[in-house]
Amino acid sequence: MTVVPPPELRFRRRVRVRQAAVELWRARELVATLAERELRTRYKQAVLGFAWALIPPVGLMLVFTFFVRHVGHVSTQGTPYQLYAYLGLLPWTFFTASVMNGGVSLVVNVPLLNKVYCPREVFPIASVAAATFDGLISTLVLLVLFPLNSRAPQPTTYWVPLLLAIQLLFTLGVVLLVAGVVVYLRDVRHLLPIALQLGLFITPVAYSLHSVPRHLRGLYVAANPLGAVIDGYRRCVLLGRAPDLHLVAVAGVSSTCLFVLAFWAFKRLETGVADVA
Amino acid sequence: MSREGTVSVTSLWKRFHADRSRPVLRDEFERLRAGSRRSASGRWRWALRDVSVDIEPGEAVGLFGANGSGKSTLLKILTRVMYPTYGRLDVAGRVGALIEVRAGIHPDLTGRENIYLYGSLLGLKRAEVARRFDEIIAFAEVEEAVDRQLKFYSSGMGMRLGFAVAAYLNPDILLVDEVLAVGDAAFQQKCLNRMREVLLDGTTLVFVSHDLATIEATCRRGIWLHEGVVQRDGPVGESLSAYREGIKQLAETAGSVNDRVRFASASVTGPEGADPQTGRCLDVCIRLVSDIAASTSVCLGITEGPAAPVVFTRTQAHLRRGETLANCSIERLPLPAGRYYVWLSVLDGDERDLAPWHPVVSFQVRGPALVPAPPGIMRVAHIHVDTHWRLDHVG
Repeated sequence: MTVVPPPELRFRRRVRVRQAAVELWRARELVATLAERELRTRYKQAVLGFAWALIPPVGLMLVFTFFVRHVGHVSTQGTPYQLYAYLGLLPWTFFTASVMNGGVSLVVNVPLLNKVYCPREVFPIASVAAATFDGLISTLVLLVLFPLNSRAPQPTTYWVPLLLAIQLLFTLGVVLLVAGVVVYLRDVRHLLPIALQLGLFITPVAYSLHSVPRHLRGLYVAANPLGAVIDGYRRCVLLGRAPDLHLVAVAGVSSTCLFVLAFWAFKRLETGVADVA
Repeated sequence: MSREGTVSVTSLWKRFHADRSRPVLRDEFERLRAGSRRSASGRWRWALRDVSVDIEPGEAVGLFGANGSGKSTLLKILTRVMYPTYGRLDVAGRVGALIEVRAGIHPDLTGRENIYLYGSLLGLKRAEVARRFDEIIAFAEVEEAVDRQLKFYSSGMGMRLGFAVAAYLNPDILLVDEVLAVGDAAFQQKCLNRMREVLLDGTTLVFVSHDLATIEATCRRGIWLHEGVVQRDGPVGESLSAYREGIKQLAETAGSVNDRVRFASASVTGPEGADPQTGRCLDVCIRLVSDIAASTSVCLGITEGPAAPVVFTRTQAHLRRGETLANCSIERLPLPAGRYYVWLSVLDGDERDLAPWHPVVSFQVRGPALVPAPPGIMRVAHIHVDTHWRLDHVG
């Protein structure tokens, strides 16, 4: 008997996109159930229930408004700051919730991972789905904010689905990457809140994308597609203009690349999840 | 793609980190720093080494071996929960698996939700699961608990549901780990019956257990894993006797010189000094060496290898310091042909060990073989009884 295995026998897991998609489709019920569970456990015990979905964005919006009114000035191109900030906070809180919950989703679900085979990406995806639900609820606040500021969404709002797709792709990419890494380096999860806090400052949530010098904007948006997404929302919903298509294209390409890379890396890392879990 | 139900494993190797208790950044940095000084091989532990197994559709395979021999790792790789490090793996068809006692998908979900989820993961449509639903809960005996969350199930209920789900959702391959032991005797029998049914439908069965009698009753083929290596792969009877022989060798070292009573020698003889035979007398002769004088109880068992005896007897004995010759005579040996082991122990008045229970000598019995039972009947005691049948046609 050989003591060391022949290297040519090294097990390579072939990941076929089609097969992965079929498996994911089969597991859709599991995704839905996991997302539902996540929402239910989060809100069932809490006294305020689903209001918790509203508290992060609305709270931050109030804080920002307070500071902008008393400390600094932010150029909103003549639109009410409350709306301006909230349109940035919606994608941002969605992103934060996704990364916080999705990032640890594999670690949290270790007992399941060790028992039943299912495509492992269902866990991060379920977290993103739960965050989407929260996002929809917090979007309802706009129904109050628009009349309150005597404004209405502009007809150019039809750009939203495109921006939403980029936002989703980018978020999924980050979540998959973080989820895969956290399994191997457990303490990275403690870094997450700090990294996200930092992210809030380097993303035009409280301020405008115009704060970034014009010649650097393309580069900036490539690194942080959320910048283009937020700017796009503000332009089309609030200002009645089309999003900056150049920036949106850059953000779209960069998000797609990140997603593909993250999915590939996740499938790679996933192979060893049951070993270290 | 091979026929559904085929399991083909070629040169499978699986290693784990030997020292990986905490996957955290600091340890990784330390590892990087120490990397050059540390040998790479010390960090790995091979759980499976060069395992090659081919299982045909409809085959029933029993997998056994000591703790840590890689049985569960192999099952996990077959379910694709885990991936091998080296080797080729081809598992064709739907895999139903019962690997852990707390089976089911999610402890927060109700029994009903778990059944549907598991079905959907196996690629079954809702209607297909619905058709089998009543059968599943009836088999698992959880009718009244079906809308309760799984975490509130007793371990027996969880296991029953897990087995029922795995066995009733038309798997091509059914993998069962030793969790059946949680169930009561009646349910174990039910599971074995179900496994036999499933086998008749052409499902492949891989069954892990420490209960060798159950393996023998259920499986046609036995694989003995020892420290990650396939030690024996063949007809279940042959593999099991090889395994039992292995256990005996391990256990023989159990008696140590520190015991206050030791067995200097033991011999087994049949009628008139010949080989032991079924239905004839058998003499076991033991030489005991004692360091103390005490009133003791000498226990003698005849086993097939493991500690559980087929035949057991004990006697009161007042031992004196020095040697004592003990002779145990069995009048009509009730054992069918095969290899057996004499296990002995000596206890003091408080039933404490003076010499622990361990095998001392093995012997071969000639005579009629054990009557083969149809697969699925549990625990046929290894005893030979003379029986006479008469069939009369009436009417």
